[in-house]
Amino acid sequence: MNINWPEKFARKGHELFLSELPIALHCHHYNLNLQKTLETSLGDDGTLLLYQASEESSYASFTSFLMQHPEIKSIKSKLEFASTSYQYCGLGIIKFNDIGPEGGKVVSPHSHHVTGWLAKYGRRSTPGCFFSRGWIAGVLAVIYDKHIGYFWVDERECKMTVAKECVFEVTVA
Amino acid sequence: MAIDTDKIIQAVMQGSRIREEKGIIPLFGVYLSMISVQYYNRISFGFENMADNCKDAEKLLVDAGQECGYTTFYGIKNSWEWQEVIMPMIETVEDQIHCFVSIAIAFGWGDLMVQEVVPGEKLVIRSNDSYEAKGYLDAHGQAGAGKCYMLRGVTAGLMDLLYGGGYPESCFQYAATETQCQAKGDPYCEFIARKAVT
Repeated sequence: MNINWPEKFARKGHELFLSELPIALHCHHYNLNLQKTLETSLGDDGTLLLYQASEESSYASFTSFLMQHPEIKSIKSKLEFASTSYQYCGLGIIKFNDIGPEGGKVVSPHSHHVTGWLAKYGRRSTPGCFFSRGWIAGVLAVIYDKHIGYFWVDERECKMTVAKECVFEVTVA
Repeated sequence: MAIDTDKIIQAVMQGSRIREEKGIIPLFGVYLSMISVQYYNRISFGFENMADNCKDAEKLLVDAGQECGYTTFYGIKNSWEWQEVIMPMIETVEDQIHCFVSIAIAFGWGDLMVQEVVPGEKLVIRSNDSYEAKGYLDAHGQAGAGKCYMLRGVTAGLMDLLYGGGYPESCFQYAATETQCQAKGDPYCEFIARKAVT
């Protein structure tokens, strides 16, 4: 699989698109401030909103990406495609080494949100990759041809708490 | 020298294609991400709906935008890219605002235009196509009030950075209002930042 991601990143006038979907460039200051604001203000409801917003947008984005690449058919190729899209978007590295239609484990050794959180706020006492959790749930639902919300993703280890890497557990919700 | 917006946009487009080995985009002194605008709108307007008092949510979202504008552009101002690409264009303090706005356009935040700068007193920015206004209209229909919380906060954050005093204590010295918003049927979105009333 050879996807030319830079070719998919385009500007039309003042708008930015990735694979025809409108995107914005935001930095870690805004992304992590939003996270902290929601978490502080709404607690679990706030983190669930972060998760669901990410799940919905990754579901929509990845559905569109795959429609533009009908040649990507196998589950393995789709997982690789998802992983490269995560990396291209500056979100980090994500590894789907142990995943199947009933769930499994996903590992992220590096991510925008971890790097940004640690740089901005320092170490956390609890896992904090709500964006990545939702993102994983969304793309896996597309890859396994399921509806949004089919998978539930928890974070078992998190680099924001200075674990070695972020480890996500995927189950059928 | 005039501010060359096209050159700034080109620098951002080229720089944002760089990935380090960790899959992070380090550019202009910050870590960038490319995320669907759907995500940001879902968070802002979802938060507003869920909060006990939507005015509190509005304030927090504007504050997040203001802190974003302040810290992001502080990082940008201290980056080597700023020194290399942008500094040669700058002759006055106010030129920096035009450069900040060019970068914001490059980031896909909207077709922003600086309408007026009164040094230390007032900044007026307009947009004919904000992703926040468009996103609100698409998802919720016409609004009763302005919905571009991020851009409103950023407008004040730029004034904080240039006229508020020393970093990092000078955030929230200015406050912005959104006097016009396409989400409520106005022809454009307009943000006016002035010294905050304490």
